[in-house]
Amino acid sequence: MSQRAAEALFTALFSLTDIRALLRETAPSHEFDDAQKTAAEKYLATVKKQIAILEEELL
Amino acid sequence: MRCAANIDARMVEETAINLDPIQVAGRLTPEAMKAVIAWGDGYSVCDNCRKPFRLDYIQNPPLKEFHVELAEWLGMAQARTVPGARRAFQQVAGTYVEKGDPVLIGALAHYTSYLSVEICRGIVREIPKTADNHITPDDTANRIEDVIREFGTVPKLLYIDHVDYQFGNMHDVRGVTKVAHQYDVPVLYNGVYTVGVMQVNGKDLGVDFVVGSGHKSMAAPAPSGVLAATEERAEEVFRTTQMTGDLTGRKFGIKEVGIIGCSLMGAPIVGMLASFPKVKARVEQFDSEMANSKIIVDALKSIEGTKILSEYPRKHTLTRVDTSGSFDVVAQTHKKRGFFLSSALGKKGITGIIPGATKVWKFNTYGMTKKQAEYVAKTYLDIAEENGLRVA
Repeated sequence: MSQRAAEALFTALFSLTDIRALLRETAPSHEFDDAQKTAAEKYLATVKKQIAILEEELL
Repeated sequence: MRCAANIDARMVEETAINLDPIQVAGRLTPEAMKAVIAWGDGYSVCDNCRKPFRLDYIQNPPLKEFHVELAEWLGMAQARTVPGARRAFQQVAGTYVEKGDPVLIGALAHYTSYLSVEICRGIVREIPKTADNHITPDDTANRIEDVIREFGTVPKLLYIDHVDYQFGNMHDVRGVTKVAHQYDVPVLYNGVYTVGVMQVNGKDLGVDFVVGSGHKSMAAPAPSGVLAATEERAEEVFRTTQMTGDLTGRKFGIKEVGIIGCSLMGAPIVGMLASFPKVKARVEQFDSEMANSKIIVDALKSIEGTKILSEYPRKHTLTRVDTSGSFDVVAQTHKKRGFFLSSALGKKGITGIIPGATKVWKFNTYGMTKKQAEYVAKTYLDIAEENGLRVA
């Protein structure tokens, strides 16, 4: 159980880091092109999925 | 926003385009940021340190493999990591320089080069810069002769920056090294602005040591750096301990003296390791970095009264500029005085230039996208025009 939660936590943090990288490469306006929007959607979906796992495991 | 009770969350890179001359090539890759999240705890990488208990033998994370690859990539026989380039200078100077020994250093070198000699009580003699701010083989030969006349011996060591931190000019390392070796003077190549941003091969350059900075040019957290050496010099600079405790008889295996055993651990080494594949790849793309640099340099050049003090055309993304005839003229009467420029840049999400600098300042375009380069160039032009400066 705890292993699953830990892995979900790290996966979420890594996906958030990918979003952080997008913010860096688009600073200061953060106007995303289509590819960046697609990437952001993918990362956010991963984060949401990991949060669901964390809720399931920890609450 | 705070990340801890009294520590601000640093969001410089997420909210602005950073032009800080010493920071931009040290920005972490996403891979490094992830590795720091996972391995940032103190001694983390030492979990799997087994006999012979040395950092560069650890196999998980693959530090052993990394050290071998690093040396190969730099065209040298062996490589180690160090807590910053200055520690590499210290390690090399500590190996060869004794009290009163002369050491030659290019006149554009960083202060830490000098201090690394001073700590050994050596004596620095400088190779002068030319009128166009270069260190040349001819001047090197003359200064070696000067040292021989003054000290009765050749310099124990010579430091040459490939690209200096003051102008970002590129110096003739191969030529300087050729001269130095004619006198049997070992050469330390300072690649703080080159290792990790452009191709560097110590063997091709003929140097004895290659020094690089992780936090300046290898997308690694500070403090971090690398020291690589030829096989002959590696035996000297990476020598292992011969010490025995006189009461206990204790010995310390293969710990290296110059580095006091192990150096980089935790976040610095794991960040460097994680960035390494991208760093190796990015040096092949230096032309595109120079293209972005040109966009901004040309924009600045087009503002009447602005001079590029670095060599031109540029060969590196670090550039020194003189705006005493342009932005500083505006500063004389602007209500914000010299702070008008940094303030105007800040409002447009551009940072990294020293606040108040309107006379002579440096910037570095490394790592930005073309879109960001165009934005920075346009912003400078807009600020110039808004303040009555003529743009060609």
